Amino acid sequence: MNTTAGRLVWAELKLTTRDPLVLTFVFAFPVVTMLIIGGAFGTDPDPAFEGVNPAHWYVASYLTVVIAAAGLVMLPVHLASYRERGVLRRFAAAGFPRWSFAFAQLVVGLLTIVVACALLLAVAAPVYGIPAAHDWWRVAAALPLGAVAFVSLGVLLGSVLPSARSAQAVGLLIFFPSFLLGAGGPPPHVMGAAVRHVAGPLPLTLLTNAVRQPWLGLGPATGSLVAVAALAVVATLAAAYRTAL
Amino acid sequence: MVTVRGLRKRYGERVVVDGLDLTVAAGEIVGLVGANGAGKTTTVECIQGLRRPDAGSLRVLGYDPVTQAAQLRPSVGSQLQDSALPDRLRVAEALDLFATSRARDHDELLEQFGLAARRRSVFSSLSGGERQRLFLVLALLNRPRLVILDELTQGLDPAARRGVWAAVREVHAAGTTVLLVTHEMDEAEALCGRVVVMRAGRVLDAGTPADLVDRHARRATVRFSLPDPPALLLDELHRLDGVRHVARAGPQVTVDGDRRIIAHVGAALVRWGSVPEDLSVHVPDLEDALLSLLEPEPAAGAPAAVENEPVGGRS
Repeated sequence: MNTTAGRLVWAELKLTTRDPLVLTFVFAFPVVTMLIIGGAFGTDPDPAFEGVNPAHWYVASYLTVVIAAAGLVMLPVHLASYRERGVLRRFAAAGFPRWSFAFAQLVVGLLTIVVACALLLAVAAPVYGIPAAHDWWRVAAALPLGAVAFVSLGVLLGSVLPSARSAQAVGLLIFFPSFLLGAGGPPPHVMGAAVRHVAGPLPLTLLTNAVRQPWLGLGPATGSLVAVAALAVVATLAAAYRTAL
Repeated sequence: MVTVRGLRKRYGERVVVDGLDLTVAAGEIVGLVGANGAGKTTTVECIQGLRRPDAGSLRVLGYDPVTQAAQLRPSVGSQLQDSALPDRLRVAEALDLFATSRARDHDELLEQFGLAARRRSVFSSLSGGERQRLFLVLALLNRPRLVILDELTQGLDPAARRGVWAAVREVHAAGTTVLLVTHEMDEAEALCGRVVVMRAGRVLDAGTPADLVDRHARRATVRFSLPDPPALLLDELHRLDGVRHVARAGPQVTVDGDRRIIAHVGAALVRWGSVPEDLSVHVPDLEDALLSLLEPEPAAGAPAAVENEPVGGRS
């Protein structure tokens, strides 16, 4: 931790644990909403949920809500706030390489997602149980790819939006429709055709499909996994370009 | 230590720095002053390698800030205008974060700048003066050879400003070169050995504060009241050596001229046996010199300003 980037990552990790937005939106919000909506439809297999236990459907889905909350809300607000207040200029003047801050955000974002996902599973386990993964390697591939994609999107948004308020507004505007249509809302089978048409190509829908379908044995979702991988590559390259990584 | 030649920087169509030359020698405290938008901050940002100049050459501690910023920055400590630290970062953590292998002892620095009791406080809870002192601590942390301070005492109360000035003097006494950007002329006068005045991205003049005052504000003003000032006295006053203008408003008499008038007016009043109790003398300071230097050229053919009840004077 004695390199410039190492010191920055360590400081940012400590700051993340003190940030009420992170604590409420990335850690508490997914857990609370998962508990509520997971219990709303019972635990009996349901045709609306492709014949699986609705609670398990939401447990598998809500890992991606954590990823989206970190990527679309936490990181853009954090980064835009630093840019707005001149924190990044101070780091640059002190000799921190420009890429080191983006790198620190990437690491902190991914670690936050790991911890928040672990918390979500730890809460879900005694309440609804954690379904066994049918195709674990696809789930294991989709989660880190999705995390990289959304964290990079977050860094990109934070490097473009001019202020913390605008980052919060844009982040929430993207997050909530994505959340309702692609992960934490009603299952696609109860949506109308037009809504399903809109929801289908959303990044969070693709990620949720890539995680949930192989996890619950509902199909390989290879197309979704490839799309998430492509998004991860494009978003990472764009974020790296914007932050001179 | 710092050599800038022909520096030019524009933002879009607006030229902010326009062919600026600047030299800072080792061991100096140099003040960079001028009106808002004069290009001071952009200049120091170019010197630190935070902005890429459009034209010109810069050497800072022997390095080119554009191509050798990584080598340069460890030797430069800086306090930037309008910058901050993360709100929830503690004072001691800030020192840990910014410290390199050359860092001074943290406790000693915090003690020196009166922040030892605040080491566990988060940045957002610090007062304005404490924040500025923390920025100064961070600027000095890694034993820099050059310190760049931009609006260091902006918004501080008088006691806090004096505390920060004392800290800057200590830094300078320890052999560090200081480049200070300020709007506060008393600050420049108190701290700087040399002041560089900028307008519209160019250097208008440079020199010691006393030299600048001498060149651009040699005037003095003497004011006093006499219940019924005799016309002959007023006539004598405006014929004194160095007097440019004498004005009367009721019992109040104002005499303007160069600094010789202070002695001459006093002597004349003694000769007349009229020594007013409210006699006051205003000698210009650096702020007057700057205002004189920065005042716009009067338009050709514009009428001269007319004083209230002018009694007389000569140019």
